[in-house]
Amino acid sequence: MTGIRDHAPPLRQMLAPWALLTPVIVFLLVTFVVPLLQVVRLSFGEQGFSVAGYAAFFSDPFHLRVLGRTLATAAIVTVLCLVLGYPIAYVVARHGGGLGRSLLLIVTMSFWTSFLVRTFAWLVILGNQGPIAAGFRALGLAPPQLLFTTFASTIGMVHILLPFMIMALYSVMLRIDANLVRAAEVLGGSPLQAFARVYLPLSFPGVINGAMMVFIICLGFYVTPELLGGPKDQMIARLIGAQIEQLLDWQEAATMAVVLLGVTLALYAIYDYLFGLDRLWNG
Amino acid sequence: MIARTLAILVGLFIIAPMVVVMVMSFGAGASLAFPPAEFTWASYARYFTDPRWMVPTWNSLVIGVISTAITMAVTTPAAFAFALYGFRGRNLIRLVIMMPLMAPAIVMALAYFFYFGEIGLLNTIAGVAVAHACIAIPLVFLILSAGLKSFDWTLLRASQAAGAGPWTSFRRVCFPVLRPSFLVAALFAFINSFDETVIALFISGRAASTLPRRMFENVRQESDPVVAVVSTLLFLLVALIATVAMMRRR
Repeated sequence: MTGIRDHAPPLRQMLAPWALLTPVIVFLLVTFVVPLLQVVRLSFGEQGFSVAGYAAFFSDPFHLRVLGRTLATAAIVTVLCLVLGYPIAYVVARHGGGLGRSLLLIVTMSFWTSFLVRTFAWLVILGNQGPIAAGFRALGLAPPQLLFTTFASTIGMVHILLPFMIMALYSVMLRIDANLVRAAEVLGGSPLQAFARVYLPLSFPGVINGAMMVFIICLGFYVTPELLGGPKDQMIARLIGAQIEQLLDWQEAATMAVVLLGVTLALYAIYDYLFGLDRLWNG
Repeated sequence: MIARTLAILVGLFIIAPMVVVMVMSFGAGASLAFPPAEFTWASYARYFTDPRWMVPTWNSLVIGVISTAITMAVTTPAAFAFALYGFRGRNLIRLVIMMPLMAPAIVMALAYFFYFGEIGLLNTIAGVAVAHACIAIPLVFLILSAGLKSFDWTLLRASQAAGAGPWTSFRRVCFPVLRPSFLVAALFAFINSFDETVIALFISGRAASTLPRRMFENVRQESDPVVAVVSTLLFLLVALIATVAMMRRR
């Protein structure tokens, strides 16, 4: 606190921030940096140094398929969240009113409800004693297998990540000046043109932020694919989880973790280069 | 009009699962049939009396409180350092503080599994609390930094001119003015810990099992309707907080 005194000695002023930063730096070093570096270390072999783990990972068709599936699933979930989330964010930001407020409340509540609770809900809905199966039976049809499929896992992830997308879109849309759309209409544009040429481009930063967040969370998703998906929907997080649970191959687990971390950090780095990470966190 | 219809439909998609879970919580049998055959409070009674549910609930509360306290204690000074001073390495330190937000939970689960295994913190309340404290740091840092942005530093100057030391200034001036930010940050940290599933799943073990871990195991193995009760209670808690927050904002 002495730093704000104009007459504070320069040395004290230089040391003051570091005194305040020491607790967080030490804590993060001991509980974050060291454990993470150990994983990186382990990925290069339990003794000595070898890249055999990575060579094995990138030459194994099974692992490459899982990595490809992880990226593809994240992309699909991101697109679905965008398509479903845009209308809600648009209505809440532009129209407000009773409908807007109720929708915002619903989205906020969903956002704060744990992943696990929402995954469980889908387990019930899609289960063979759930409402959808009951509907099929009422029509005299055999209910299809919904649970433990790609469909179940995808719908669960979309439901869980949708609020992230909506929040990201909404926070940008709130700052769009409604007069710009009105101006486009006054100047002869149809409502659709005004939307497509004025509103949509202005909402683009929200689209990027939302897509970035959803994609990244989806890449590392464990709970939902594990509980709702089938064996054919394994994503990389699930392979890592299986290694921990069954105590199989530590180096392999560490290698997969480093690959997942690497892809994630690379995406953050690209975002930072293009837009600056501050926008993602403060948006 | 089209946008409104779509928005309402998606709104229903978002809320419907929660309604289903609430109805489920009144079912009694050991199956996930919807709608349940009969409506009873039996599963609620089971939740509040079965130690297999009460112990993890208690563990989660304890872990939430400890981890929130640790996070607030180490992050508050850092947020003040960033608000008060310019210093070398600012961007690097900020990046390090934000890192736990970027690392996927499953990667941290693996990291803590090794690390806590070595230092004897695996399957302990302390271990889970430390892990949760670590991953909450970025959230708390962002919230406090946002709060500090609008803080009037002349108040601090005035208190120091009046002879208060740094600690007194913090306690008597900064803390009361910034109380809302501190409350929100602590609430976020607590909820973050209370909801956290992936890390707790792998490092809490039987001995320190958290509520989400218990729910996860339950869903995977036996599908007991008590899960629906816990889900309903958690959801009602969230609904209450969200409603209060929205009413106060208006």
